[in-house]
Amino acid sequence: MEEKLSKEEVLHVAHLARIKVSDEEIEKYRIQLKELLNEVDKINEVVGYDEEMMITPIKDEALLHSDEVEDQISFEEVRSNIPHTSGSFIEVPKVVQHE
Amino acid sequence: MSKYLDHSILEIHELLKSKQITPLTLVKEAFERIEEEASLNAFITLNKEAAIKEAKALENMEVDNVLFGIPIAVKDNITTKGLRTTCASKMLEQFVPVYDATVVEKLHDCHMIIIGKTNMDEFAMGSTSETSYFKAPHNPWDTERIAGGSSGGSAAAVAARLVPFALGSDTGGSIRQPSSYTGIVGMKPTYGRISRYGLIAFASSLDQIGPMSRNVYENALLLNILVGQDRHDLTSVAKDPEDFTRLLDNDVRGMKVAIPNYFVSDIVSDEIKEKIDEVVKFLKSQGVIVDYVDLPYLDKAVTLYQIIAMGEASSNLARFDGIRYGYAVEDPKDLEDLYCRSRQEGFGDEVKRRIMVGSYLLSGENAKVYYTKAQQIRDDICKSFEQCFKDYDLVIGPTTTTVAYHLNEGMDDPLKSFLDDVLVIPVNMAGLPGMNLPVGFSKEHMPIGLHIIGNYFEEAKMYQLARFLEKNLALDLNPKEGGK
Repeated sequence: MEEKLSKEEVLHVAHLARIKVSDEEIEKYRIQLKELLNEVDKINEVVGYDEEMMITPIKDEALLHSDEVEDQISFEEVRSNIPHTSGSFIEVPKVVQHE
Repeated sequence: MSKYLDHSILEIHELLKSKQITPLTLVKEAFERIEEEASLNAFITLNKEAAIKEAKALENMEVDNVLFGIPIAVKDNITTKGLRTTCASKMLEQFVPVYDATVVEKLHDCHMIIIGKTNMDEFAMGSTSETSYFKAPHNPWDTERIAGGSSGGSAAAVAARLVPFALGSDTGGSIRQPSSYTGIVGMKPTYGRISRYGLIAFASSLDQIGPMSRNVYENALLLNILVGQDRHDLTSVAKDPEDFTRLLDNDVRGMKVAIPNYFVSDIVSDEIKEKIDEVVKFLKSQGVIVDYVDLPYLDKAVTLYQIIAMGEASSNLARFDGIRYGYAVEDPKDLEDLYCRSRQEGFGDEVKRRIMVGSYLLSGENAKVYYTKAQQIRDDICKSFEQCFKDYDLVIGPTTTTVAYHLNEGMDDPLKSFLDDVLVIPVNMAGLPGMNLPVGFSKEHMPIGLHIIGNYFEEAKMYQLARFLEKNLALDLNPKEGGK
């Protein structure tokens, strides 16, 4: 029988990813996500490796620069890509709820 | 229709310099070719008006460098100010960047002309470009087949001779694999060679931009202008300026080349193995020393890639929240609803699967079990390559296990896209440079590519071997008449 995640497990990973899933999608992901997770579990077959960890492929010294405020992109420029604005504000659903 | 774009870059340069043609001639020709080959679906957005305007503005300027006035296509995950950049996703269907990527500034600096933005897998996730929201590009050698991915549109555009150059990006083979499938030269330089500023991030420790071209010399010319440290990308590396064409005419006699046994194992189709074998025999006959070697963990690179790439993707793509840019649902009932539904509707299936698995792999204790362990084994892969490069100048093998297959063959298989890149992924793991060179054709006249891997920052040496083979093989790589 095909291995599947439970519905709850799919809902859990979908919540972690902040992606809503329909009932139909849940059924599909139960199989597909399980397949992917089985694949990544192959990492457990690897033994005898050196425990030194790679942080970045760059061997050279990191590039640093001083933390100074520079010319920035203006709100007017950025605004055109914002889905919902109100005056000079970005509009989002109400976060604070009244009792 | 004029045929100037069939000429070499040096010939075009002479024509421009002697005023026999203008940049506008080239730009118009590029758009005519694109229109003629519209069914390839290589482009998502054309930059027609601005490109023509720019070409006209160049008419009275001095032709001061070899890339002056040359048309180029840019993969649609590299930001272009004022020109829509979609990442082939519904999420960014309406997104118009407010700044240029550093590589795009560099193209402007030498007055190359951006013709348009090329098709790709959504957010560069895939190996066929079929996950594109704008439908897949087709392979100019056989339009029933994939152009590969994720830089499939860039590969198709160059292979079909619509433009002489394109930029691609390579996280797990996305420049080299489509280059192999379409018979062009594609270079993924050393991680840190080229600024990633303005490349919409997929997996930050793997992503690298690179040049795609019709031949080796022109690839090196384009790389010349793309490299350099950039204060906007703290992983970019400072190196003295160098000319990547400088070794092209050098002899390869005495060069030492390694082939990892895994690269010619049963995972590779017979006809590709035979072609690589022919190349090896030829190299040996020319005084190149070729040895078969064992490199540990190569067979585990895909698993590591899945963990690292999906983990990093889940974190990079968290920025698409329906608030600051990108797709947003109307009338969300609360903030959570805005995030979750915008992401459900804005992302395609492949992207959602990878974000979900990536989020899971990084959550709580899993981060240690998966991500940390993957980075530890990744370090071992680097060390084994480092060891190998103590004895050898270059590592070679096939770029892909098969030639380009038919459209829709791998759809809905969540693993297929990773397995197509099994031979190219180890290079991203180690941050090494890797390139594809066309070396022949299958019985069905589909291109076969050689994968050349160099030590860190030794792209010039890779071009040297590549040019030597290219010169001797003398393949006709124009899909219209080539295939021999």
